[in-house]
Amino acid sequence: MKSMIASGLMGAGLVLSGAASAQAQDCKIAVGSVLSITGSMAAIGSAIGDAGKLAIDHFNEAGGVNGCEVNFILRDDQGSPNVGVDAAKTLVEIEKVPVLLGAIQSGVSLPILTSVTVPAKVTQISCCSSAPSFTELAREGGTQGYWFRTLPTDRPQAAVLATIAAEKGYKKIAVIHVNSDYGVSLATRFRDDAEKLGIEVTGVTPYNQEQASYRAEVNAALQAEPDALFLVAFPADGATVAREWISFGGSQNLILSNALRADEFVESVGAQYLENAYGIDNAQVEGESVEAFNTSWKDAKGSDPNGPGLHVMYDAAAVALLAMEQAGEADGTAIRDNIRKVTGGEGEPIYPGAEGFKKAKTLIAEGKPIRYVGATGPITFDENGDVTGPYLIYGVKDGELATLDRWDKARVEAALEKLQ
Amino acid sequence: MTGFAAYLVFFLIVALTYSIVVMGLNIQWGYTGLFNAGVVGFFAIGAYGTAILVGPDRAHLIGGFGLPFPLAVLGGMALCALAALIVGLATLRLREEYLAIATFGIAISIQLVALNFESLTGGAQGLVGLPRPLFGLFDSPAGYNLFYLGVVAVMAGLVYWALETAVRSPWGRLLKAVREDETAARSLGRNPARVRLEVFVLGCVLMGLAGGLYVGFIGYVSPLDFLPILTFQIWAMLIVGGSGNNRGAIVGAVGVWALWAMSGLAISRFLPVAYQSQGGAIQVILIGLLIVLTLIFRPRGLIGEAESVSKHAD
Repeated sequence: MKSMIASGLMGAGLVLSGAASAQAQDCKIAVGSVLSITGSMAAIGSAIGDAGKLAIDHFNEAGGVNGCEVNFILRDDQGSPNVGVDAAKTLVEIEKVPVLLGAIQSGVSLPILTSVTVPAKVTQISCCSSAPSFTELAREGGTQGYWFRTLPTDRPQAAVLATIAAEKGYKKIAVIHVNSDYGVSLATRFRDDAEKLGIEVTGVTPYNQEQASYRAEVNAALQAEPDALFLVAFPADGATVAREWISFGGSQNLILSNALRADEFVESVGAQYLENAYGIDNAQVEGESVEAFNTSWKDAKGSDPNGPGLHVMYDAAAVALLAMEQAGEADGTAIRDNIRKVTGGEGEPIYPGAEGFKKAKTLIAEGKPIRYVGATGPITFDENGDVTGPYLIYGVKDGELATLDRWDKARVEAALEKLQ
Repeated sequence: MTGFAAYLVFFLIVALTYSIVVMGLNIQWGYTGLFNAGVVGFFAIGAYGTAILVGPDRAHLIGGFGLPFPLAVLGGMALCALAALIVGLATLRLREEYLAIATFGIAISIQLVALNFESLTGGAQGLVGLPRPLFGLFDSPAGYNLFYLGVVAVMAGLVYWALETAVRSPWGRLLKAVREDETAARSLGRNPARVRLEVFVLGCVLMGLAGGLYVGFIGYVSPLDFLPILTFQIWAMLIVGGSGNNRGAIVGAVGVWALWAMSGLAISRFLPVAYQSQGGAIQVILIGLLIVLTLIFRPRGLIGEAESVSKHAD
């Protein structure tokens, strides 16, 4: 039996290596992605994968990268680091991807970064991992510059939310947050900022994911009779918490984290209860670049791109491909070194969509500088691979998600400065 | 060395690390009949113990002792032994299913402590920037992985050899006696409670050893690594491989992990691109199906327990 397994494995190996060499002749470039298609993030994972694929489809429509067709390979991490790391390793070693998009949860992205992508000199761009530990690791030199993420870290988000809470005159705020790296870090930063602005934070209550009810957490947060609730959650669990909070008589002054900007959340809580709610998300600043993404998403999917991670994932893929085009080769280190050449700076602006990428390819061929203005607006990476960006304030109007306000970079920086 | 070979090395490092855990569970369940459903908890203690001892000093953390890796792993194992001793004293009087529930609860508690004891474990952020032993001596990641595979293989081999020696000794026969008929064992003047405790601690220490090796390889640890699904994976490895047989434990670890990991690779190869976002679900179904089929056709596992009959019997 053992020899049967061994020969089976070797057989699989032969088939796989055969397939790899056939691909190289057709001139295909593989771009890998590790996302949570099943597991606790399944509700948002596959749509995020679609957003990545859309960017790659657009690039192929524009003629591919360096004349080669781009092949998008999406792998599931099942919400587990061990599965995610293994999937990343197959992408890097067998599929030979020069760039890896993902993962969603920081607890999956980080082991991939330390044990797979950095040692193999493959650039890793995440749409969705917000933990500050990446910044810490980058400062220590642990990422060797191979790490980028297209969503802003939680530092400015907390500052903006706290500033608005103070403007609205909230005096006592309770915090309920998902007990993950994302939740803990956003909740504690918000508490620090709110207290600096003279708001009393009556309690910071963590909850563990995927429970049928959060009555205990909601009751604990209700004890101090706060006049607002800051809820850091993902849509499914967040809806459970919000429903219980409101039915137990909690205030409808809700402050929502970026992941709750999902139709699913509004529908299951009930739009009529969310009229006083506001939340933050990375801004799709008004303008052609954002419209270009929204329209093409609508064309492809038939719905509006409402959901966490879609715009940032599109940008992660687009930045990777543009850097590859600029570098002229599909190599991890070359991509790393060219990402900042195609974002920020003073070059010609490039918008999402096949037309935009066509223009980018022409300009790059002519040796002219370009600047990608993406589905989330202009993008600039700092030396740690983090972006700071503009934000939007969302709420619910006429039963649907709506944008209430916009914060450009200058306004965000002013708010941050006040909280120093 | 690139391509499939490099992946295979990587895969085997993880699979053999798990095989140590499975052998730890095998001595508990396969030989002695202790239903430990908290495997991941002890794996976590070994991993965190190692990470805290080996990690660099950080202002916001209690740990960060910067010890050499082998010492840190030994420390993690010692911590595991202590934890297993306490848990064992408290729960080992419970019979199978009750012991399972108790240990399952303990594993969840351990994961929650890791998630919430921020100043020690880094909380949900985990512990980053852990040094990988002797990483600087190798030019290429492939070379390093080959070295680490050697380390893990030697450790797994040592564990296998030690366990095989142990189960063939009089002490090993005592384990099976306790499993089959505790009253009979007691009537022969043995102390089953003590044997159960010894075996429980031994098995958990092996799980801790594997946890330490995992940390050394990945260089990072977070509570997400220790979800209850891992306990299920380890159990699947033991049952599929064949409980009560250490070779079965190793074969099961490699086989089930191959199924788990490589089914994703196969699906991404053969599924049309348009259906990729459904691929994850298909993979999970496939894993379940193959495990069920294995058990239908090989109910005692791929390599079951060898029949042991007295040499005096005819």
